[in-house]
Amino acid sequence: MPSLHSTLKASIARALCAAFALLFVLAQPAAAQLSFKPTAESVREDQLLNALRAGDKITGRISIPDAMAASLIQPAGREWRDFQRTMLPVIGGAAIIGMFAVLLIFLMVRGRIRIYHGFAGTTILRFASFERFTHWLTASCFIVLALSGLNISFGRILILPLFGAETFATLSAYAKLAHNYLAFPFMLGLVIMFLIWGKDNIPGKLDLEWFRQGGGILFKGRYPPSRRFNAGQKGIFWIVILGGTLMSLSGWFLLFPYLPANVTTLQLLSVLHAVIAMLLIAIMMAHIYIGSIGMEGAFDAMGTGEVDLNWAKEHHSLWVKEEQAKRLARSGSRPPRAMPAE
Amino acid sequence: MKVFLAALFFAAIVAVGMSVLLNTIQQPSSVAFTTSGARVGDPGNNLIGPS
Repeated sequence: MPSLHSTLKASIARALCAAFALLFVLAQPAAAQLSFKPTAESVREDQLLNALRAGDKITGRISIPDAMAASLIQPAGREWRDFQRTMLPVIGGAAIIGMFAVLLIFLMVRGRIRIYHGFAGTTILRFASFERFTHWLTASCFIVLALSGLNISFGRILILPLFGAETFATLSAYAKLAHNYLAFPFMLGLVIMFLIWGKDNIPGKLDLEWFRQGGGILFKGRYPPSRRFNAGQKGIFWIVILGGTLMSLSGWFLLFPYLPANVTTLQLLSVLHAVIAMLLIAIMMAHIYIGSIGMEGAFDAMGTGEVDLNWAKEHHSLWVKEEQAKRLARSGSRPPRAMPAE
Repeated sequence: MKVFLAALFFAAIVAVGMSVLLNTIQQPSSVAFTTSGARVGDPGNNLIGPS
């Protein structure tokens, strides 16, 4: 029969073990995962419930290589689902519909920005073929990515009621494939854009002056000097490069979802991807507006590559002087080649 | 116009090329997550199995 002394020692040891185990569990940081080894201790329901209430993730022990399968219950998923259903539509709606409204008002108030001195009738080469190719490669991919991405976020609410379930399902299946695979030429376009235009888009003091003078679009007849790219274009460039890079990185992990450490990271990445997408789409709407109907003579830059000389002198006066000086230097005393506008 | 069409064509070629490449190198989950210790059975033709 065990002595009182040994019984007491055993009791103290058991109590210390229990206290130590509890301390280990309670000392975990707030976002800890509670992991229960089924052979070492039984699952205590009140501990599980408290963990769920606190927002902790419940995980188990698994033997398959997919580490994410260890997650049994993840309460943070509720917040993610709520964000997708409430905040994201607000952000998307505010950004896209808001931008549409702003552009409409701008067009009604300011009108189309005309060439102040009228068309010169001669042109100057603004963008070479390869530059235009890069732009259209990236832009066309962006349009399909944007529309298919918006379908993922809002298609069920906006498109399904219009076309019915069958058509919507087929459309969405192909849209998803397009979204997944056109991401690659889009990323390629971003890299090429950065390489060919990065050096001309470094911000400088002239850009501050450009903003101060309203960028040549706010006030009629006032055109601040600008080199190849003005401050507005530099802004668009860096937004595309940085925003596009963030989209590419987050999208990469969504394409290969076994790469992130856990499902919480995947959810964060999908939130990042969606929010940046909405903002990028809104900003690109402004870019498309000013490059098409918003400004007379602007589309030619990416259309044919040749822009009207008066347009160039009004919006990129310093660049025109540099180009004309280069041509003069190349051709000696011969005057610059005058090309009639088509 | 030619440049625009060339860009569209190139984008399509890259997209199709990537789809072929990824379908070649990637494995279905029933193959990728099978080890000597755990065998994930062939799920057949359903949402997660090969079509």
